[in-house]
Amino acid sequence: MAMGYEQTEDSGRELRRIVRINEEIKTVVKTAYRINLMAMNAIFLAKRAGQSALGFGVLSNELRRFATDLEQQMLALGQATGGSVSTVTAMVKEARAIKVLERARAQCEGVGKEIIDDLLRRRSATTFSDRRDQVAALNRNLAMMIESTASLVEMGGVLARSAKIEAAYGGSFSQSLKQVSSDFEGTISEIRKSLDCLSKFQMREFAA
Amino acid sequence: MKTIRVIYEDGAHKWFAIVRDPGRPDYLVDTNEFLVISGDDAILVDPGGSEVFPAVFSALSTQYDPRKINKVFASHQDPDIISSLSMWMEFNPNIKCYISWLWSSFVPHFGGNRDTFVDIPDGGTDILVGSQRLQAVPAHYLHSSGNFHLYDPKAKILFSGDVGAALMPPGEDNLFVENFDRHIRHAEAFHRRWMGSERAKRDWCSRVSQLDIDMLCPQHGAIYRGADVKRFIDWFAHLEVGVLKG
Repeated sequence: MAMGYEQTEDSGRELRRIVRINEEIKTVVKTAYRINLMAMNAIFLAKRAGQSALGFGVLSNELRRFATDLEQQMLALGQATGGSVSTVTAMVKEARAIKVLERARAQCEGVGKEIIDDLLRRRSATTFSDRRDQVAALNRNLAMMIESTASLVEMGGVLARSAKIEAAYGGSFSQSLKQVSSDFEGTISEIRKSLDCLSKFQMREFAA
Repeated sequence: MKTIRVIYEDGAHKWFAIVRDPGRPDYLVDTNEFLVISGDDAILVDPGGSEVFPAVFSALSTQYDPRKINKVFASHQDPDIISSLSMWMEFNPNIKCYISWLWSSFVPHFGGNRDTFVDIPDGGTDILVGSQRLQAVPAHYLHSSGNFHLYDPKAKILFSGDVGAALMPPGEDNLFVENFDRHIRHAEAFHRRWMGSERAKRDWCSRVSQLDIDMLCPQHGAIYRGADVKRFIDWFAHLEVGVLKG
């Protein structure tokens, strides 16, 4: 019945995994904010370029909307991981209690040992496995959200590439518009990397 | 594992002392826990920290069914006093914890719920354990600002929390004080630093001097009995407290 140590380790690992996911979410939110500012500047630039940068202006508007959607999506992801933190914290607490009970059991004889055995049997059969199911459900939800964010980022990538093409028609502003669209591409590629990391952390099986 | 010793017995009315844990890591302060039973009722006095729970539980369960403990007395809010509460509640979720009203919304961080805590008013209260009426005696600011000791008038035992505590060096693990002068050296620095108020000290000394006490049981170190009880109260009354050094 020596499961306390493993459970504490598993729950601790899960908590560390959530912390890393949260850190990555914060990185994406910061980058999304940067895209928003870049898009706003691009809109002004397109306005200055006039008729020849109309297409670029439309795409910059779309990129701004993309940044806002991405920010919302990441906030929702953050909330989902927040839910996991409460569940995993409860698991850590339970696992610690089991660990203490096992230490007590090791020191007990007779009635004391029987009482603890009974309690540990009941606990391991119910509470802990319930919590594991809850964490598994939260993880599935998180995976779905990351997947839908990945699709959104793909769309952002397409917009940035299109902006690069439109920049070529920007007349005397063409060089500046090209620079801006390259910055968009670079920033979206950073987001893609962060999302890959998020996916990797998320995919790491709970209690692996 | 700790040792459990009967220090008072009169029929179904008993006091157990759960003391000395040789397996305790040296970074944890050693604590004494006390169990008072009267018939089918039992109160665990300063049940200890969660780290020492295994040692306390295993010693206690050799003498008494831990599921029958339905009351806990916490002299104050410190972790070495009451952080094991949630562990005891594993065996009886209906345990009532008697503690100063000052701490009844702080200690739930260690466990328990709205129904667990029974507030002790500043003036103290009686706690019925079986047929015995124990008294929660005010000991505020000694050292905690909401602090109580527990007196059993029938057994003539005063559980005195941190008052009377001594931090004993390794090897000195007598249950009772055998040589007061030698023992008190291990109590002096502790009392000077931990006990913060001269006035509270004088009030306490005057209050407990009126009680009939055969044994004074602190939460750390050896138990004072017989003439050593008065000797301790006199010593404490003359000790300058609330000082950083000396």
